[in-house]
Amino acid sequence: MQLSFVIIDDTELDHFIALKMIRNANKKFRVKSFIDATHALEQITAGDIDKDAKVILVFLDIYMPLMNGFEFVEEFEKLDEAIQNKYYVVALTSSWQISDINRVNSYRSFKKMITKPMKADELSSLINKVTIEYSIHL
Amino acid sequence: MAEKIKILYIDDEMENLTGFKASLRLDYHVFTAVNIPDALNHLAKHPDIRIIFCDQRMPVKTGVEFFEEIRGTHPLPVRILLTAYTDIESVIDAINRGNIFRFVKKPWAPVEIISAIEEANRFYLANSMLSVRNDELQKAYSELDKFAYSVSHDIRGPLSGILGAINVSREMHDIVEMKEMLFLMEKSLKKLDTYILSMHDYYSLQRGELLISDIDFNKLVGEFKDIYKIYSQTANVDFKIEINQREPFRSDVIALKLILNNLLSNAFKYQDKSNNAKSVELIVEVYKGVANIQVKDTGVGILGNHIGEIFNLFYRASSQEAGSGFGLYNVKSALLKLSGQIEVNSVLNKGTTFMVSIPTK
Repeated sequence: MQLSFVIIDDTELDHFIALKMIRNANKKFRVKSFIDATHALEQITAGDIDKDAKVILVFLDIYMPLMNGFEFVEEFEKLDEAIQNKYYVVALTSSWQISDINRVNSYRSFKKMITKPMKADELSSLINKVTIEYSIHL
Repeated sequence: MAEKIKILYIDDEMENLTGFKASLRLDYHVFTAVNIPDALNHLAKHPDIRIIFCDQRMPVKTGVEFFEEIRGTHPLPVRILLTAYTDIESVIDAINRGNIFRFVKKPWAPVEIISAIEEANRFYLANSMLSVRNDELQKAYSELDKFAYSVSHDIRGPLSGILGAINVSREMHDIVEMKEMLFLMEKSLKKLDTYILSMHDYYSLQRGELLISDIDFNKLVGEFKDIYKIYSQTANVDFKIEINQREPFRSDVIALKLILNNLLSNAFKYQDKSNNAKSVELIVEVYKGVANIQVKDTGVGILGNHIGEIFNLFYRASSQEAGSGFGLYNVKSALLKLSGQIEVNSVLNKGTTFMVSIPTK
């Protein structure tokens, strides 16, 4: 598959739900889960996530202990551009706070913000958009 | 007996100073200064001077000029000018510019001075009370902001998770999968429940009164022994308790329980799962009116750069277990109410020790 997924979230239930939804969209999608954003960043930096994928869609929670979503993106934006271009980062958060929304919009790496719970049609239109943008055939 | 009110009197005539001090020193703590440098010296040494009397006619600087000068550097003391009728113009001017609270005309009678002191003192108290209240209000506002932020994440988080789970359940047919999800839903709800209970603790600590009674640490800790017994067995954590109380101790039992419970539950929660010799140690020693409590674990430890922040509201230094960000903040608030102290020592991957000392009430 040319499209694969990374979920970064500190809540197990949210991992379970996102995984289910992604699999419901297409059984063959590969998904990597991270409870701790620092581990995700380490693997992304090392280029270990998915070598075959053309683009990797990252669902990133914002409110997490240790390294939160914003801190993750700040570190992510320091990586080589070649690495950055391989990832399509989406903020997935339970927050309706204006301060969070504004802050998400201030980073170039956040391509989109989705409020939890994510709906199945939000996911499918996101997948459509990414496959067209990166000319991927599923 | 309450401490005497501190008063400073500045006059270039020594005999005025002596007379002033002689007639007031029984009721008030009087400082005198024969010139402005002396006066500034007193103010620097005694920042709790409440009232300043100053003579208007002095060499180098007038009383009004002196008050104008110290208004910025010493805004708290109430300023009273001593002056003869001939200086009335400058007095009016000074009052209008807000530099002085009152003036007493020279030669003064003790009764006038005393009434001026009493009124100035009331003014001083009202003012300082206002600034204390202001600080409290500022703190409450900033905590309210944190609350608003936390509500949208810590309360809405689990709820949106449950809603999302219900959504995906519509396309779920495998009972095993369903049960796994129900287990995760339960975990999220328990976290929400803990959050709400801690919020209640937070509120009672901020607003509640203390209820002091005799504390028997053997009995108190006995309750915790029972609570953590099951946990200690299933998670294979050795729970060691040592209590040394040979003298009476008085404190608020609810606040004490809150402190012990938060420290113990953290000690059990943040264990290193790969460690084969896991333990939690609770040592209580009551000696010379102070209870020293130690909670020692063999857990994951706290990173050095997080140590300073663990007592902050909503701060979480681990993603290993579900924390609300209330626990240690509540411990600190409880200790503040009991005039106690807390210290922490932690080595990453070795363990953490919290040391608490609380004086008897």
